[in-house]
Amino acid sequence: MASTTHRCWGTGRCRVGEQVLFAVAAIGTLGFGVGVVFFKDAFRAAVSLIGTLLSVALLFIALLAPFAAAIQVIVYAGAIVVMFLFVIAYLGDRGALPGPDRLDRWQVFGWLGLIGLGMFGTVAILDSTAGPARPAPDTTDVGSPASIGDAFLSSHLLAFEVTSLVLLVAAVGAVVLAKGAVQGEGGR
Amino acid sequence: MTVPIAAYLALSLGLLVLGLIGVMRRRNPLMLLLSVELMLNAGNVALIGFSRQWDDPSGQVFALVVMVVAAAEVVIGLGLTVAIFRNRTNLDVDELSAMKG
Amino acid sequence: MATALAWIVLVVPLISGLVLAGWPTEPPHAVTRVLGVGSILLAFILSATIFAGLLGNAADDRAFTSSAFEWISIGGVDVNLAILVDPLSVMMMLIITGVGFLIHLYSVEYMEHDRDYRRFFACMNLFVFAMLLLVLAANFFFLIVGWAFVGLASYLLIGFWYQRPSAVAAAKKAFVINVIGDVGLVLGAFLVLRTLGTLDYGEAFARAPEMGAQSGTALAICLLLFVGSAAKSAQVPLHTWLPDAMEGPTPVSALIHAATMVTAGVYLIVRCHAFFDLSWLAGDIVAFVGAITLLLAATVALQQVDIKRVLAWSTVSQVGYMVMAVGLGAYASGMFMLMAHAFYKAALFLAAGIIIHALNDEQSLDAMGGLRKYLRVAFFGMGAGCLAIAGVPGFAGFFAKDDVLSSALAYGGFGMFCWVVGVVGAFLTALYMFRLLFRAFFGPGPDGGYDPTPHPSRWWMSVPVVILGILSIVGGWLQVPFGWRGLDSWLTPVLGTGAEIIEPTHTAEVITIIVSLVAAFGGIALAWWLFGADPERRKRLAGVAAGPLRVMGDAWEFDRAYDDLFVDPGREVADVMATKVEPDGPQGLITGTVAVVRGASRVVSASQSGMVRAYTFWMVLGISLAGIVIALVLAGTS
Repeated sequence: MASTTHRCWGTGRCRVGEQVLFAVAAIGTLGFGVGVVFFKDAFRAAVSLIGTLLSVALLFIALLAPFAAAIQVIVYAGAIVVMFLFVIAYLGDRGALPGPDRLDRWQVFGWLGLIGLGMFGTVAILDSTAGPARPAPDTTDVGSPASIGDAFLSSHLLAFEVTSLVLLVAAVGAVVLAKGAVQGEGGR
Repeated sequence: MTVPIAAYLALSLGLLVLGLIGVMRRRNPLMLLLSVELMLNAGNVALIGFSRQWDDPSGQVFALVVMVVAAAEVVIGLGLTVAIFRNRTNLDVDELSAMKG
Repeated sequence: MATALAWIVLVVPLISGLVLAGWPTEPPHAVTRVLGVGSILLAFILSATIFAGLLGNAADDRAFTSSAFEWISIGGVDVNLAILVDPLSVMMMLIITGVGFLIHLYSVEYMEHDRDYRRFFACMNLFVFAMLLLVLAANFFFLIVGWAFVGLASYLLIGFWYQRPSAVAAAKKAFVINVIGDVGLVLGAFLVLRTLGTLDYGEAFARAPEMGAQSGTALAICLLLFVGSAAKSAQVPLHTWLPDAMEGPTPVSALIHAATMVTAGVYLIVRCHAFFDLSWLAGDIVAFVGAITLLLAATVALQQVDIKRVLAWSTVSQVGYMVMAVGLGAYASGMFMLMAHAFYKAALFLAAGIIIHALNDEQSLDAMGGLRKYLRVAFFGMGAGCLAIAGVPGFAGFFAKDDVLSSALAYGGFGMFCWVVGVVGAFLTALYMFRLLFRAFFGPGPDGGYDPTPHPSRWWMSVPVVILGILSIVGGWLQVPFGWRGLDSWLTPVLGTGAEIIEPTHTAEVITIIVSLVAAFGGIALAWWLFGADPERRKRLAGVAAGPLRVMGDAWEFDRAYDDLFVDPGREVADVMATKVEPDGPQGLITGTVAVVRGASRVVSASQSGMVRAYTFWMVLGISLAGIVIALVLAGTS
């Protein structure tokens, strides 16, 4: 499909739909995010991450970026989290170092930092409410695979090539690390 | 957009802060990496939000690049974690303080 | 022609000295002899040639300067490497190279068994070069250069046997006192430059009257130059280095501390007579210092038991005579005495050296006696020298001392005080010198005889002593009272014929001759009575006036005074500086800086914990700080 128009858009009902979608996705994101950060069990944390990632995909859809949403689900939730799960299965049983956290006394600085960041963020957000000269269009081509592909191959060609290089590096790195591991265990 | 961009940004900020808290508090390297994923996603949300607002594909392009980089980073990160911690009894980044002043 | 030869005379000892100094190993003694002694012989022959050449010229036409190159030229002041050949410098050249050659010849045998044969001749040659530079310089600049080199050579030679701590200490003492003199000399030269605008002798002396007679400037210049003189010529209070300098080998004592270096001060005053003529007060002060030195040194010499120390104090005393003479304005008399003293003092020292050499380095009079049986040449040399120094008629010392004393009397006023002091000094001189002679050569030997028998020396050592002894006898006939005044006329072109030049009157001459004869023979007689006739008498009489005699023997406690005044406080200051001031001050700055840096780095390095999460904290803190700043900016602009 060339454009992503929906029949209800342009009428008042889809507005509400968008807001509902946003609310659900937001709750999911934050809720599962809390789970990621605060679950003690590694497996549960990884599964919470899946939830977070799917919620973010919903957000992308609300923002009329279906291709990004699709990639999010496939790459992130599909590949990355699976890798995590594999490693957790391999390593996950081991616990942390015994004894108290050595950095406990400094965590006040961390909290201060977060508060500062929060303040900055708030100001930035409030600043952004100034809004653009023209409002965002209700329907748009931006977000379709064609549009993104076009952007990648014309104005963002360098980013495209660099990305491929990064993937190559990652692949090579993975092979090297794996080889080391295999040799460490007596294989070749 | 009926939902103002500020909402998306606030969400992004919240996700970022959550991720930061995770990075600072968690000692398990795998949990550390998960928290980093959260932060990356926060960035993506902001990027795509702005892409929608300014009606410019650049934001989405960048978000895709971020996803690719995240994938590469997770690969290497997990590989390192496995390589380092295979033979240790504890999964704790505090153990890795050989370079100290 | 004369100046060309003079350049060669100057350069030859320098080259031979440098060649010997730079020789990588110890060459065969023959090589050292040829280079070391031959160079001085060549210098003497050339000096004699220059002298003969000058004699051929008319009396006015005897001053030549020659400039090798321009050294400094600033603001109208030119300092050239220039030499001046005139009667005064030629006279000094002859003495330096002539007596120097004889002493070098003597050293061939004296130093025969020394390990450092080559080094000795290298240093001696360098000394001769330095002394020649001093007397040949045509401006104050190179005078100072030569002066400093002479001091250096003296240091090297006094401390020749550097393994002896006493020799090293003596060398240091000589050098330090010389430096005091150097300061005076340099300040004097500065003042000359500032007042007269030039350092060249000819111009400076021509412009000297501009300073005004009896002016403060003239007085200042003269006194500053005299400080230099006094240090080099060992006058009170800068005399304490000379007796200690006897630590050096005997030829060194003969050359440096008898014949040449100590006379450099006298030469300086004579050369700068144009300044001293302008300030009678300066001249009187100089003469006074000379008189005091003369008397003081003579009393000390009476008490010395070491044969070389007697001669050393004797030198101080005799140079006092010369300084007294030139202070009063009797320049030619002073130079005459300089020449005569060179002959007889060198003869005395070299004869003493024969004794020391024969007795295997024994220097104490207590261990000597009846040597005239064994060491005839030494006896001749020392006898001639003693007769000369005592002022027995016919010998060189008689004519020279007479010249000085009668000039002093003719000066009148203050000069009469000097005359009295001089006469008393003459009596004492005769006394202590004949004490030396009688105790060493007459009387019984030490208990148990000599072991081994003193062996006479070979011709290397004997011939110079004989020659110098003969010169002590005949050298005086150059200037005879009531007769021809050879030296006066020789030096007239240099000294001028102004009213300031003192010539002895006939009355003065007569009175002086009579009185000095009485003094001289009286001294000899007393010496014979005390030391010669009955060798035990002196021991019996030793109790008389023991206190004053002890003080005299201790050189009037000058050394102790200097220790208390300068050396000990200096040491204490140095101690405090080393132990307290330096660690806290300059050292403290450095160690303090180091401590601060260490402390700071320790604090900073505490942040390098190696823990990832700590770094995360820091990062978050940093980012948030940056964020706050941006937020403030945003808030400010919007």
